[in-house]
Parts: sequence; C-alpha cells; structure tokens
Amino acid sequence: MAVFAFACSQTEQVADSQQPTDTNPHTNLDFPELNDFQKPEVETFTIENGMTFYLVEDSELPLINVNARVRTGGVLNSNNKTGLASITGTVMRSGGTETYPADSLNAMLENRAASIETGIGFTSGNASMDVLKEDFDDLLPVFIDVLTNPTFPEDKIELAKTQQKSSISRRNDNPQQIGIREFQALIYGEDSPYGRTTEYATINNITREDLVNFHDKHFSASNMMVGIVGDFDAEEMKQKLRNSFGKLPAGDKSQLKFEIVNYEPQSSINFIEKSDVNQSFVMMGHIGGMRDNPDYAKVQVMNRVLSGGFSGRLMQIVRTEMGLAYSVFGQYGMNSFYPGMFYAGVMTKSSTTSEAIDAIIEQIERLQDEPISEQELQDVKDQILNSSVFEYDSYEEVLSERMSNEYRGLPADAFEQYIEGVKATTIEDVQAVAQEYLDPENLQILVVGNKEGIGDQLEKYGEVNKIDISIPEPGSGEKQMVEGNAEKGQEWLSKMTEAVINNTELNSISLTGEMNMQGQKMPMSTTINYPDAIEQTIKGPMGEIKVKYEGGSGKMIVGGQERPLPPQMAKSLKSTLNRSFLSIALNAESVNPQYLGTAEVDGTSYEKVNVTVDDSNVELLLDAETHYPDIIRYKQFNPQMGEQVTVENHNSDWQVVDGVAYPYLQETMINGNKSGEAVYKSHEVNK
Amino acid sequence: MLRRVLMSLTAVLLGFYLATPPVNAQSLDEFEEKVTEFTLDNGLTFIIIERPVAPVVSFATYVNVGGANEPVGHTGMAHIFEHMAFKGTHTVGTSNWQEEKKVLKELDNTYQKWLAEKYSTQPDSAKMDTLWSQFEGLQEEAGEYVVNNEFSEIIDRNGGTGMNATTSQDRTNYFYSLPENRLELWFSLESDRFKNPVLREFYKEKEVVREERRSNESQPIGRLVEEFLSVAYTAHPYGRPTLGWPSNITATTMEDAREFYNTYYVPSNITIAIAGDVQPNEAKELAKQYFGDLKEGPEPPPVYTKEPEQRGERRFTIQGQSQPFFLMGYHTVAQDHPDSKALQLLGSVLSGGRTSILYKRMVEEEQTALQVSAFNGFPGQKYETLFATLAIPNQNFGVDTMETSILAEIEKIKNDGVSQEALDRARTNARANLIRSLDSNSGLASSLASAENLRGDWRKVFTDIEELNKVTVDDIQRVANKYLTKDNRTVGAIVNEDNSSDQEVADANN
Repeated sequence: MAVFAFACSQTEQVADSQQPTDTNPHTNLDFPELNDFQKPEVETFTIENGMTFYLVEDSELPLINVNARVRTGGVLNSNNKTGLASITGTVMRSGGTETYPADSLNAMLENRAASIETGIGFTSGNASMDVLKEDFDDLLPVFIDVLTNPTFPEDKIELAKTQQKSSISRRNDNPQQIGIREFQALIYGEDSPYGRTTEYATINNITREDLVNFHDKHFSASNMMVGIVGDFDAEEMKQKLRNSFGKLPAGDKSQLKFEIVNYEPQSSINFIEKSDVNQSFVMMGHIGGMRDNPDYAKVQVMNRVLSGGFSGRLMQIVRTEMGLAYSVFGQYGMNSFYPGMFYAGVMTKSSTTSEAIDAIIEQIERLQDEPISEQELQDVKDQILNSSVFEYDSYEEVLSERMSNEYRGLPADAFEQYIEGVKATTIEDVQAVAQEYLDPENLQILVVGNKEGIGDQLEKYGEVNKIDISIPEPGSGEKQMVEGNAEKGQEWLSKMTEAVINNTELNSISLTGEMNMQGQKMPMSTTINYPDAIEQTIKGPMGEIKVKYEGGSGKMIVGGQERPLPPQMAKSLKSTLNRSFLSIALNAESVNPQYLGTAEVDGTSYEKVNVTVDDSNVELLLDAETHYPDIIRYKQFNPQMGEQVTVENHNSDWQVVDGVAYPYLQETMINGNKSGEAVYKSHEVNK
Repeated sequence: MLRRVLMSLTAVLLGFYLATPPVNAQSLDEFEEKVTEFTLDNGLTFIIIERPVAPVVSFATYVNVGGANEPVGHTGMAHIFEHMAFKGTHTVGTSNWQEEKKVLKELDNTYQKWLAEKYSTQPDSAKMDTLWSQFEGLQEEAGEYVVNNEFSEIIDRNGGTGMNATTSQDRTNYFYSLPENRLELWFSLESDRFKNPVLREFYKEKEVVREERRSNESQPIGRLVEEFLSVAYTAHPYGRPTLGWPSNITATTMEDAREFYNTYYVPSNITIAIAGDVQPNEAKELAKQYFGDLKEGPEPPPVYTKEPEQRGERRFTIQGQSQPFFLMGYHTVAQDHPDSKALQLLGSVLSGGRTSILYKRMVEEEQTALQVSAFNGFPGQKYETLFATLAIPNQNFGVDTMETSILAEIEKIKNDGVSQEALDRARTNARANLIRSLDSNSGLASSLASAENLRGDWRKVFTDIEELNKVTVDDIQRVANKYLTKDNRTVGAIVNEDNSSDQEVADANN
C-alpha cells in the first residue's frame, strides 16, 4: 500500500504562492494495515460441447445470478443492415419461445420477481437471469430455451423496428448524444463499422430470416461462456449446469472480424447547429490506442493527470479556476478489439466556447511540453493504488472481470499487471507517452451549439466544416438505376418539355387556387421563381401560413409570427419543387430519362419515362397525344407514417397561358389512397 | 429508464424510491443484528451497518434540507451550498486562512454593494462598474490563497471512489467510499467540512452551477419538467427548480449561504450511515471524537406552505424543435400518508414491467409509445407530491394519443379496479427490488440514512412491507378515484413545431 503522503499543491502555478500546510489535521493520521482480504476464487470448467462455466459462491442474499456472454456482436453486421444484432438481441427475449410465448414468459417471470434479459452489443452478446434461489431449478430451463429457441414472431420484430425508428427520429434532440455520435463518425469515418449509425433504411432492410440466421450462427455452445454467482452449492450446481447446458450442440465458433482503422492525423473544426440550446457541447481529439499496448499503464497515468475526476487538470483549471463548465471530461480510450478514441470535452455557455477549447488544448500541449510534477505523479499513483481494492469489492465484479478478460483475450491477472505498470511509471514515461500518443497539432474539434451565441469564435481554428445531421429518409441517397431506352427517353422527355413550355423562356410562374385536404378547402397562391425560390400562402383553418424559400433556407410566417423554416422542411420543399414537371422540363438534360415502354392505367395507355431527380426515381406517364405528364409517380418518406410511401399525382384539366401548360386539377394519391387535391383558377407566367 | 431520467433531472434520489418496499419481518430481524444506531449528545445520529464482504467502507451523510426549504428569492441555495461543501475548510484548501478570511469578507461586501446598486431604483452604471472591478480584483486576490480542489484530492489520493453529492427537493446527500483502513480520515474530513466550511470561490462556483443549469436546459425533458412543476404548483415550493432560477443564482451571496448553513446544517438535522467493513465500537469512538463538538442549533423551521386545492385542470404546450413528450401529474399525498402505498402500487400496476397495463397497451399492442411510466412521488416524497405519468410517443404518434390511452386506462381502473394478480405481482416485485438493493455498501448506507433522516426511522425501509401487504384491490380503486380527477391534474407537452404544417406545405407543390 502506498504511503499517504500529503502535499499542498497540485499545479505549478499555485505552488509558488503558498506555504506548506502542516496545520492540516488530516495529514497527521496513521492508517492501520488494510484488513486481510481473500479475493474469492472463481471455479471454472468446460464441458464437452465447448461451453465454459465460471462459478462464485456468495450466500449473503438468497439470490442467484446467471450471466452468459456470447461471441457475436453488431460488428458482424453489414452497413446496409446496421441494427440487426441489436434487434436480434431484443426480440430473442421479447418474442419468447415455442414453449414459453411472450405473454406467459413475462407473467411467469414477474410473478416470481425474476428477470431474464438478452441483448447484443457491438462486440459481444449477453443473456442474464436473476432469480430468487428457490426459483432457480424451475427457471434455468426457461433461460436456456430463451437463449437457444427464440421464435422471433413477426409482430415483435415489427415492434422492435418501430422502437428503433422512433429512437432514430429522436436522436437529434440531445446535444450530448449528437456530439458523441458525430465525433465517432469523424474519427472512424461514417461508413466504418465503428462510426456508422443505424438508419431508417438499414432497419427496413432487416428481415425475420436475417434474425433467425444471425441467432443460429452465434448462439451455440462453443460461443458461450456462462458465469454464475449467488447462494448455491458449487458441486450441486456444476451437475445441474452439465445436465442442462450439456445438451446444446457445439456449433461453429464465430470469428469476430475487426476492420483495421486507417486513421489519418488531421486537424479540423466541425460545427453542428442546434438553435434551441444556450450551451456548446464540445468534443476534441483523435484516434486512441489498443488495450494490449505495453504502454497501457503509462498512458492511463497520463490520462489521469489530464482528466482524472476532480483532481485532473481539466477539472482543476476549466471548472474550478475558470468557472467555465460544470462538466469537463476526457479519456484516452484503449479498446481490446479495435483502437479507442482519445478525446477531451466540455459543456460551456455559447459565449465562452473558444475560451474553453483553448484552455483544454493548452492542457493537452502542456503534457508534452513539460514534465508533470513529482507530486502529480505521486497523487495519481496513490489514487490508482489505494482505490485498487475496489476492483474486487463484490463477488459479481470478480466474476465479470474474469470473464471479460477471458473474452477479450487478456490474461486473468490483467488488472494486477496494470497496477504493476502504474507503480513503475516515471515522470519521464508520462512525458514520453504524451509526446508519442497525443497530437495536439492534429485535433479534430466538434462543437454542437447555438450559431448565434457562438458567432465567429470557431473561425480561428480553420475553415469551419458544417455537419448536416438531418436524418436520411429511407431510399434517398440510394440511387437505384433504372435501365430502359435512353434514346427514346430523351425523345419523349423533349416532347413533354415542348408541350408544357412551348416557345417561352420560363422564369417564374404564379398560381392561384385552392387546396382540398380532408374536406377542408384552403385558398392558396404560389409563386415559383426558377430555379429554386418559392413563395406560398395558404389560408388554413388555423389562419394564414406564409412560406418563403430561397437557395437552401427560408422562413415561415404563421399567425403573424415569423420564424426560420426548419431545415428538414426546407429540404422537403426543395425536393418537391425539383420533382415538379416544370422543373424536370427545365432540367431535361440532367435527369437521365429512360423510356420504359407503355403502361396502362385505368384503361388509358401512357408512355412511361423514368427520370432521376436528387438521386431518386420519378416516373412520368405521358399522354401519347398531348405529351402532358398526366401521372407522376415517386416514392417519398412520410414522417407521419415513418416509412417510404408511393406518391402519385394525377394531373388533368390542362390549361395553357403564354405557352406554359398547367393542370388545373391535381389529385394526390398516397399508397393508392387519395390524400388531397389542388384546384387552380389561374396561372401567370413571368410576371 | 424513463423514470430515472425524470428523477435525476429533479435530483430525487432514486435508490430510496425503489428501495421503499421491503422484504419481510424476518429479514428485518436479521438486519437488526448488523445495524448499530446511536445519537451523539448534540443530536447527530449515526447508523453503522456491518458488512465485511471486502475491506472497503461506504459513507452517506444526509441533511434534511433541500430545494423545498429555500427561502423566497433564494431558489438554488441548497444546491449551491452542496457545491460549496467541496471547497474545503479552515485548514483544507487554503494556504493561509487568516489572510484569506479577510479577503473573502471584503469580497462578499463588495458583491453585496454591487447587487444593491444593480437593484436600486436608478442604478448608476459607473458605480456598478467600479464595484465590479473591485470585486474582480478581490476575487483574484482571494484566489491566491486557494489550494485548488484539495478536499477532493485528499479523498482521491486515499483511494476514495464514488465521491459526489446530490440535492433534491427533499434533502441533500454527500457520499463516497474508502478502503476500510481510512475510516478515521473520513471522520476527520467530514466533520471538518461541516464544522468549518469555507465559502471559498463562491462566485466562481455559481458560474459552474449556471453551466449545470444550461446543460439541463439543453435537454427537452429538462425544459419540460421545469415548466411542468411551475405550472402544477401554485404555492408549495415543489414548484420551484432545485437548480434555482437564474436571477436567484445571481442574487445569492456568501452571507445568504452562511445563514442557510447556520439554519439547516445543525446536528439534529443530519444523519450519517456507514456501511461495510467497519466496527461499530470504533466508529462510535471516532464519532464522539470528531463530531462531538459540532455545534447544536435550534430545530430548523418547517415548510409551512401547503398546496391549496386545485380548482381546475391546467394545461400547457411547449412548441419546440425536439420530438414530442407528454407529462401529466395529479396532486396526491406525502410519503407517510396512509394512501401513499396504494398510489405506489397503482403506479407499479400501470407501468412496472412488461405485464403492466400501460406498457402492454401503449408499447406492445398499439405501439404508440416508445416508453411510458407512472409513479407517485414527483418531484419529491416528503411533502404532498404528484402522481406522474410520462410518455414518449413513437414516431407516428402525437401527445394526444398518449393522453387518450393513459386516461382511458385510468378510467378503467376507476370503474373496474385492478386484478388481484396484478396487485400481488407488484408487491412481489417491490419485495425483490428491496432484496436486490441490499447487496452494496453504498446502496445500504444511502437507503438507511435517508429513511432515518427524512422519516425518523431506518427500519421503515423494511416495515413498509407490512404496509404494502395491507393494500387491497379496493384501496387501489379508491385512491384512483380520489386523486386521479380532472380538476386535480396538470397536463404538459412538448410538440414539434415542424410537424403541424409539414404535410400541407409539402403537398401544395406537387
């Protein structure tokens, strides 16, 4: 045990201004030897099918806890099915088994105050059972059944998907969640398994078959280790485990594949706008390291000096001395399977964003530029060594650490080795690892915050990269190539163009009429200045709504109140405009028309041309004689329904003014059902 | 999870809430053997729990003061003082207390003068500037005597873990764990911080507190909860934020904090629990030695204000950029009122676990909600509180769907009651939750200190079981009818300002 050495200062700056405080009464205490502590033995054995068991007896409370760790993980999912592992882990439990369907499973467990839960994380799967000891024999077969025979019913799969999608829709509500997610994407790359996110589209791609296959492949005996802690007799328990788990087939051993990270050191400043907050959430850093790095202990000592709780430099300076933050934090992540991240972060009011960033950078640089003090090294060692007794202060922890080391391929005494490494670390070591593993010249900085409050504070770090976090709608960005006859496509599109814009240069169009939605008639007028300015007024039942959009952003005036047009809405407005037949006609050269033959709808035959607008497909069904696009079809994400829907516009009652044709009746069908119509009274061209 | 979010936002101690329902009389007897209780002459009560599983020991100090006790105009005071309790003492955190003391006095005087000018009828801005620069000069001068975070560093160096403190409407608690051979160090430090607190770096720490506030405001649920409580409560201080209103944080001075400390941090208002590898006799000796001279004081004043009967439903909506949230609450009773057990079980029947009524309907069957929870005890438990339901709608659904479903299920219970099976299940799970909470030193110290400090007897953690067993299905129906009425409720929601007009505008350009 390290000596309790008291000292008066932590940092060099204050050391000059103070005298040794030998008056401090807390320094004169003598501590007795720590009571003898026998770390509980973990008993382990492996059975024929390859399953390994870890047992610890603990009779304090009449409970037994079983924990299975399974070699699997989200890392195995492909990018277009991100989320598969997590949904599999959820539905294993929520869907129940043949013998114990969901409802009876839930009631049986809750009646006995027992729990069985399953989940699959990024690098491992887990299943646990918590029971009163008298229920163990009854519930062990249930646990094994959930692990090995889940039925994956469709309705529970849908439920899990719905919940995942709801979470996606909420992921931009919390600045911390945004910051951490986007920082990972910055460091690892947004297409890397370590930086990617689950999207509506990747959830939609997941089928029941995927779940069944994923489960079958990994939840076999040779991929499982099981730990049991609680009030039981070990010999008796071993027999029970052999009898029950022994029947499981060995199966194939899973291989977790971890892509190599090719990180390119770079400095960058990135910004995400969140206009409803008054505090910036800042993350900065670069790639971190691996757990098996021989310098692990030294790097962790360095990290502790920088950001170890209240005693760390960041907390001392940024919170206590400068009063800039409640929360300031950092970590040098060293993972077992793939490189961790080094980061430091802070939450500070908008106006002090760069002050806080600078203060943190200064502390990172300082670790490289000057040796830490003797006192700091001693303090950090004392912290780690004196608290090491907490590493094993419960039976559960002893067990879970042992299993975790085994799973990650670390030696059983990894913690003891770390402690030895900490003891051996010198001041020079800390500076050396700071110079080797920190790169303050190449920090990637990410700020989530209020643009107005932050102003131009970020510009001094370089050209600010604005990150768009709007949630991708399924289908968008995934260009599905439609192949038809390109030559004929061009031909038919030209015919349409000539029909709708005849011998005119179209600059703007103004329309008046009314919308009819769900029985509500709402007068409206719209003016479009091509290519992309829109002004629209609708008199709804709740009053007048005015929308003005130009070049990517806009505003809306509702009940006399003006506010910015939310980005999601601006985007949807723009893509609706791009898909309109006049815009398509104006951009005829760049929409890749493909002729797809004739198509019959309600007894009428049309010429079908597919065009590509904003990376998605729009089908134009042209009248063979007038060449007007009587039907326009496309797929669109509907936020209310949370899914992709098919939209069809049926255009009729075409009128021509100054060479420009417009349908005075537009009916909109969503998934085949009429959702509304627009009836126009007049249109004016270039006014 | 959801309740956790809500509870931590209002800084209500979750452990206590979950631990309320107990095992049985037998386990209390077993427990009695492990627990030693004593009160010093000055009124300070200790609870020692022997649990020599590992050579470590956990400490919990509970002070029976929280946001609800704050004087008018000083919301946030209990929480600010909690922060100050880490700033050291006459001997910890200073290089020269005698000199520092003088500067601190002058510093506070200057701030008070600045405040007086700021709030005078015709503030003289030149005078304010002069005072402010004096203030800043003094703050810098005071800073020269500060030994940064020394209090926490001593604990860190000695292997302390889990060091923190929280403030709720009901109480303030301080806690950490040490290797067992450092027992005396805890006595030395903890007695020093409550005997000789120094309001060091007070004005800087207020800025830290403001950042804590901003962080809460940055979360939609944080904004909703603060607004909700201020609408639901007219008179009782449960309606005020524990984090304090910003203008109150500005107006709070060191003198105010000192007065607050003198009033509420008296030995009879404090309970300490120590759990782990600890000898009761040794602890008792050390307690006398270190805490014996903690100065007695008069019993702190009670909270006189009672919430008047609500005359009609209250509703509000926040138009925001986030996805929607729904929160509804009914005025009910304090924790030790006979009806609180039935209300607790009602919450559990409605939303505890996968078999609960609201979970089954809204999450599983209709799939309208991502999460839903109902419980009694928001935002506190000591005084008349609220029965709250919080729901997060799924992507395709709005807050109106949440309200309709929750009200429909409440109505069914009011008319038809709940099943005996559901009640038994709720009780069984409450009991198991208690057993599971007994296996950690810090959890034990916290539960027992809290029950003793706020309810007068640590045994209530266990004896509540008999109370729960007395509740019948009729009681549940009765309390539902008595409290869950329209006039008695507040309904608050966040709705997304985008969604309402999105459809209309998007369709118009087709």
